[in-house]
Amino acid sequence: MTLAIILVIAAVVALGIILRLATTRGLQAKRRASLAATIRPIDIEAFRNLINPAEDDYLRRRLPPAQFRVVRRERLYAMAAYVHVVADNAAVLVRVGQVAVASRDPRVAEAAQRVVNDALLLRRNTTVALLRIYLALAWPNSGFATVRVVDRYEQLSGAAMLLGRLQNPAVPVRLSAPL
Amino acid sequence: MLQAHSLLWNYLWVAPHLLLLLLAILLWRRKFHRQYPVFLIFAVATAIGSLAVYAADEIRSVSGNTFWRVDWASLLVDALVKFALIGEIFGRVFGLYPSLAKLGKSSITGVGVVLVLLATLAAADTPKDNIHGIVSGAHILEQTIYLIECGLILFLFVFAAYFKLSWSRSAFGITLGLGVSASVHLATWALMANGKFPAQYRIFLDFLNMAAYHVSVLIWFYYLLVHGKDISGPGEPPPPGHDLEIWNQELERLLHK
Repeated sequence: MTLAIILVIAAVVALGIILRLATTRGLQAKRRASLAATIRPIDIEAFRNLINPAEDDYLRRRLPPAQFRVVRRERLYAMAAYVHVVADNAAVLVRVGQVAVASRDPRVAEAAQRVVNDALLLRRNTTVALLRIYLALAWPNSGFATVRVVDRYEQLSGAAMLLGRLQNPAVPVRLSAPL
Repeated sequence: MLQAHSLLWNYLWVAPHLLLLLLAILLWRRKFHRQYPVFLIFAVATAIGSLAVYAADEIRSVSGNTFWRVDWASLLVDALVKFALIGEIFGRVFGLYPSLAKLGKSSITGVGVVLVLLATLAAADTPKDNIHGIVSGAHILEQTIYLIECGLILFLFVFAAYFKLSWSRSAFGITLGLGVSASVHLATWALMANGKFPAQYRIFLDFLNMAAYHVSVLIWFYYLLVHGKDISGPGEPPPPGHDLEIWNQELERLLHK
């Protein structure tokens, strides 16, 4: 009977999750208008500094092992916070891109498709990066790299800017010149 | 009222399958088979299979052994078509995104293998609820099929939700209907396949099963026949200009802080 009870609980939980996700889907459609406002800014230079192996080497040489582990863990927590924000932003861009994919203008649709693909790839990479960060939290002395997340984020920014320009040429795109 | 062969019992067994056949005809007229050919096969095969089991139950000349053989055949065909349908939905939802295709395929394969292992272990651990192997075997097969189906559908929902992918209205409706039916059936068959569940309450589980399936068929009617807004459907407006401006401001802050 224990197995039956476990399966019943699993089925009830599955049904609950499915119904909850189904309800959330409806709510997302209603909230779509304010999607872009949910993007949170990221200090990418600070993030680069956090994931720089040279910084870690410097701290390892300068600090006693116990103190290094404490500092390293704090840096890893900060990294995780950054990567969470990147993942959230990527999710927003997936949804913004998916709306624009249906555009009648083939250039907009193509740019939107690129944004969606880049954002999905970024979200996938953030998942892997978070797993690595949490593993590194258990072993602070281990090597670690999330550079690909940063690179992918910059690539996504370029694709998003192109989509913005194509969708609304009247709005000045201030990002293009400094790049 | 809640008794075998009552009017409600007959209605719940027959009506959803007749409705499913009607849905298949209506969808065929709308050329839905070009989009989801497996769903139409599923609708027809499941409906005919279940109606055949119903007929075998009603016709007095059909022996108990023959009834269970028909039930087994219907179950196996139903399972085969359902898994093909899940594959079709997966291709429709995730096939659009090349960056996710490989990850999606390997993930669903991995989840499928784990679910088959779990279902096999559960089947091996389930005590026989009947002295006739063909009867208890059918119950265990139901539990096994719904465990795998429920897990795969849950994976589809969670994977799509994690990556914030939008579903077409039809894919969402088909998966939601399958999910509701699979989870309720998993719970009821897990209890029914267990020999210690009191026999007098089994009829309530039958009613619950049939009612859940009826709800699923109504979900398919609503999502496949009633026109509504697709999240990614054609004609959706692009984000308004001022939203893009905010977006660009945020990206500017991101790159040049």
